[in-house]
Amino acid sequence: MAASKLPPLPSDKGVWDDHAITRRGFLEAVFGVLAGIGALLVAIPSVRFLVGNSLESSATKWVELGKVADLPTAVTQVSYSTRATDAWREVTQRGTVYVSSADGGATFSVLDGTCTHLGCIVQWNERDGQFVCPCHSGHFTREGEVISGPPPHRLRQLAVKVKDGALLAEI
Amino acid sequence: MKHIFQWIDERTGLSGPVRDFLNYPVPKYVHRNFLYTLGGMTLVAFLLQVVTGILLAFYYDPSTEGAYNSVDYISYQLPLGWLVRGIHHYGASAMVILASLHMLRTYYFSAYKRPRELNWLTGVMLLFLVLSFGFTGYLLPWDQKGYWATKVGTEIAGSVPLVGNVLMRLMRGGATLGQATLTRFYAGHILLLPTSVALLVVAHIFQMRFHGMAPAITKKAQSQAKIFVPFFPQWVITDTLVGLGLLALLVAMTWANHAPLEYPADPTRSDYVPRPEWYFLFYFQLLKYFPGVLEPVATIIIPLFLFGSMVLLPFVDRSEERRPWRKPVTTLVSIFYIVVIVIFTILAMAAYA
Repeated sequence: MAASKLPPLPSDKGVWDDHAITRRGFLEAVFGVLAGIGALLVAIPSVRFLVGNSLESSATKWVELGKVADLPTAVTQVSYSTRATDAWREVTQRGTVYVSSADGGATFSVLDGTCTHLGCIVQWNERDGQFVCPCHSGHFTREGEVISGPPPHRLRQLAVKVKDGALLAEI
Repeated sequence: MKHIFQWIDERTGLSGPVRDFLNYPVPKYVHRNFLYTLGGMTLVAFLLQVVTGILLAFYYDPSTEGAYNSVDYISYQLPLGWLVRGIHHYGASAMVILASLHMLRTYYFSAYKRPRELNWLTGVMLLFLVLSFGFTGYLLPWDQKGYWATKVGTEIAGSVPLVGNVLMRLMRGGATLGQATLTRFYAGHILLLPTSVALLVVAHIFQMRFHGMAPAITKKAQSQAKIFVPFFPQWVITDTLVGLGLLALLVAMTWANHAPLEYPADPTRSDYVPRPEWYFLFYFQLLKYFPGVLEPVATIIIPLFLFGSMVLLPFVDRSEERRPWRKPVTTLVSIFYIVVIVIFTILAMAAYA
């Protein structure tokens, strides 16, 4: 395109390279740019669409674990259920925690039963006084500290409060 | 009949390419060796997965409330539901085994060497897609096994330094496992993965046809290297017979033991012992050995190293030597990996027996 419009060079100087730019080369470049723009126009909203709401932080909430008077002081697994929104679905969200009291029921400690290694539910072993994860053999003390195995952190300690005689934990 | 073919050919021009495809010369040493049916068998297994998968999709309900019941219905009330789901279930294992054996055959015959590097790479990608099929597939019944395997699997992504949490949430579609996770895995399993695999298989076969079979490594095979049989019907019949054998095996396995369905997913059961599918057990076992801050070594660094070494293999091993007994390094490395995988799998099985 451009090559044909260049003014002729003096004959003693030489000639223009007639491949300096060809129509075909120009059209190829134009196609590349257009296709690139098209691909980005499709890709960017697609990625945003796929990410969706998955990175939104979820608010914590308080769930009731039972009446303080009824809770045993030994380490006890307590399952809770609460209404929650799961994407477009209203569901009964269920989970499990370990409740214990070191001072005869005056105050309670609530540990999240989720192993900090890869998310399995730990089991309380009364004989050894330890929590044991059945997946990859992580061991925790009664207070939730790591004794051995792969878990990188202690079990998560949940905030608790007593309201109208019931023990609530923040999940 | 001849007129009909002629009529179609005049309008499609397909007879030439089809004839070329069917008349493709296959070296006799290849045709006579059972090890060369492994690739075709992996393809047969994939086609069986496509057929049974499409059938299952007619009844499956991809919701956290309905998934379990729909799979239960398929398994126990639908006529031949047990058979279709059983073939799909055992077929998944067959694909993992066949793809791995096909890869080992390629490895020991040095068929990854120049100019077949890209064929090796599409194969590596296909193996990982097969494993992704397994991982996304067993969540779908929304039973205990699938739920916990997915919980652990996504936490593994979560253990990646810095970006782990974002990765985990992207896989789950949110902070916790739920409806968004199930829909994601479903769409990936029935749309994204099958189309990706199909495209890569076409590329894989096209490259194989383009380069032809890798040179023979034994003297006996080399002596037959210049004698050919046509792809159709000689080679196709072998594959068809072995394929029928595979189908019979899958039916027999299903007959003997229907595909398992555990109790519905329950995030509160602490007495459930989560275990992955057998082909992930060695990895599961590996995770036990790296405590605390070393966790990413097992979850990410070792798998990335393995994947990376598979990708780099044809670019690192560039010698002309193709006989495995003359290449002690690559041969011993592969035997080391196989032994480790077998031992770890046995250890993991023993721990839960």
